[in-house]
Amino acid sequence: MKKLLVLLAIIVSVGTTYGQEKSKESRFMVRGYGSASYISLDSADEHDSGSSFNMGTFAPIFLFKASDKLMFEAELEFEYEHGEFEIMLEYANLSYILNDYMTVRAGKFILPFGTFGERLHPSWINKLASMPLGFGHGAVSPSSGVGAEVRGAFDFKGSKINYALYATNGPKLKTDAHGAGMLEFGLTDDNNKNKAIGGRLGYLPFSDSSLELGFSFMNATVGDAHTDYEDTKANLFAYDLSYVKKINPLGGVIDIKAQYNQSTVDDRTYEIHDENDVPSDLVINDNKSTAYYAQLSYKPTMSNNDFIKNLEFVGRMSKVETPDASPETSDLESTTFGINYWLSWRSAIKVNYQLIDGIGGHGAVDDKVFTIQWVIGL
Amino acid sequence: MKAFKFIAIVGLIATVGISCSTERATAVQNKAGVQLWGENCVRCHNTPSPASFNDADWSTIEMHMKVRANLTATESQKIFEFIRSAN
Ligand code: HEC
Repeated sequence: MKKLLVLLAIIVSVGTTYGQEKSKESRFMVRGYGSASYISLDSADEHDSGSSFNMGTFAPIFLFKASDKLMFEAELEFEYEHGEFEIMLEYANLSYILNDYMTVRAGKFILPFGTFGERLHPSWINKLASMPLGFGHGAVSPSSGVGAEVRGAFDFKGSKINYALYATNGPKLKTDAHGAGMLEFGLTDDNNKNKAIGGRLGYLPFSDSSLELGFSFMNATVGDAHTDYEDTKANLFAYDLSYVKKINPLGGVIDIKAQYNQSTVDDRTYEIHDENDVPSDLVINDNKSTAYYAQLSYKPTMSNNDFIKNLEFVGRMSKVETPDASPETSDLESTTFGINYWLSWRSAIKVNYQLIDGIGGHGAVDDKVFTIQWVIGL
Repeated sequence: MKAFKFIAIVGLIATVGISCSTERATAVQNKAGVQLWGENCVRCHNTPSPASFNDADWSTIEMHMKVRANLTATESQKIFEFIRSAN
């Protein structure tokens, strides 16, 4: 594994020098997006009910094209939510285009595990103000990783295939009283010697690229080194679907997106400590978590009316389920409806109404959330 | 989940069937950049108009999208040639 990483590092650095010699000009670009929202929550838990303005996110993106083959991309995400200020490095990586069919990347990148994380999560792309259940930071879905990747696309017997294969430091198994048995993603440090191996295969059968079906996987040893959990393994996979097409009789564009994630962790007994530091054993067998969403949207792009043309109607269902035995088990379902008004190709006002119910974290959830989000792409 | 599996299976059968009968590579080769632009960019986000950026920025974006969106070399060449000719 290490050899592979070293090899990729060499390829990239050779590429850099080679690329720099050839290029006469390099290009630096700062872009990004920001959002602000107003949220009104009607919750089963009286304490949570109320309304508030949220700064949401501000995410600057840095792109540097060093040559025709080499580029650097990085994104910072500033988030202010529930009175807490957070800065996260979403990604920072180098891509080197080896040939028409293959690009190597190294650094921290958003994992091609399904498509939501890599392609759809930025708030100017996400058609709703919220993420699907289980798809946000630190949920059932791998977000980003530090490592190396090869990816590319090619035509194959009348269809298009795209692929990505990566090795990263991988997720970490949580063993504490709140999160025992769950995985933590997006870490920069490695908690053990093992590298996570993962990838995605996308299949676009039609020449108009309207439909894409994808399969992703990730296998990793997730326990901290030198602990009883050391050799605990996790297997994850995902299916994704995307169908986007302008349909003349409907006068606009139909967009269907869906993804199903499943994560399985080896059976383990966790030694956890309560507030008074009293230890107890927690057995989690059949440690399987799932999350999925399906979304349909329609944009009447062919309307003659400028106002209607910029509207978009969205509906999404999502569900997340973690094992009953896990400390903060959740079994939540959500339905969201939204209307967007697009001010430009990447600025919009989104009005959402979301129903969430089930069991989540600390007990029963029965929320009705009304959100207005204003998002601008820079 | 059942509905999901159903959609996946039906989709797969339909697409394998249809894809055997078309030659995508030549189909794409025969398409104009403007058509590929209309078909591809909208798969993830609204399609930016060629006027949204200048040529220098487009060349950076071209590389960014080629990698992020897994465009084939033909697709990205044709699309961004069109964009640069139209902005
Ligand atoms: C497979 C999904 C996908 C497709 C297809 C796609 N994009 Fe993007 N695009 C993205 C994502 C994701 C971002 C945001 C990158 C980020 O913020 O990390 C983005 C960002 C952009 C940006 C903002 C600047 C930048 O580079 O981040 C431009 C401009 C853009 N895309 C143009 C295009 C054009 C033109 C096409 C058609 C050839 C296209 N995109 C096709 C996913 C896609």
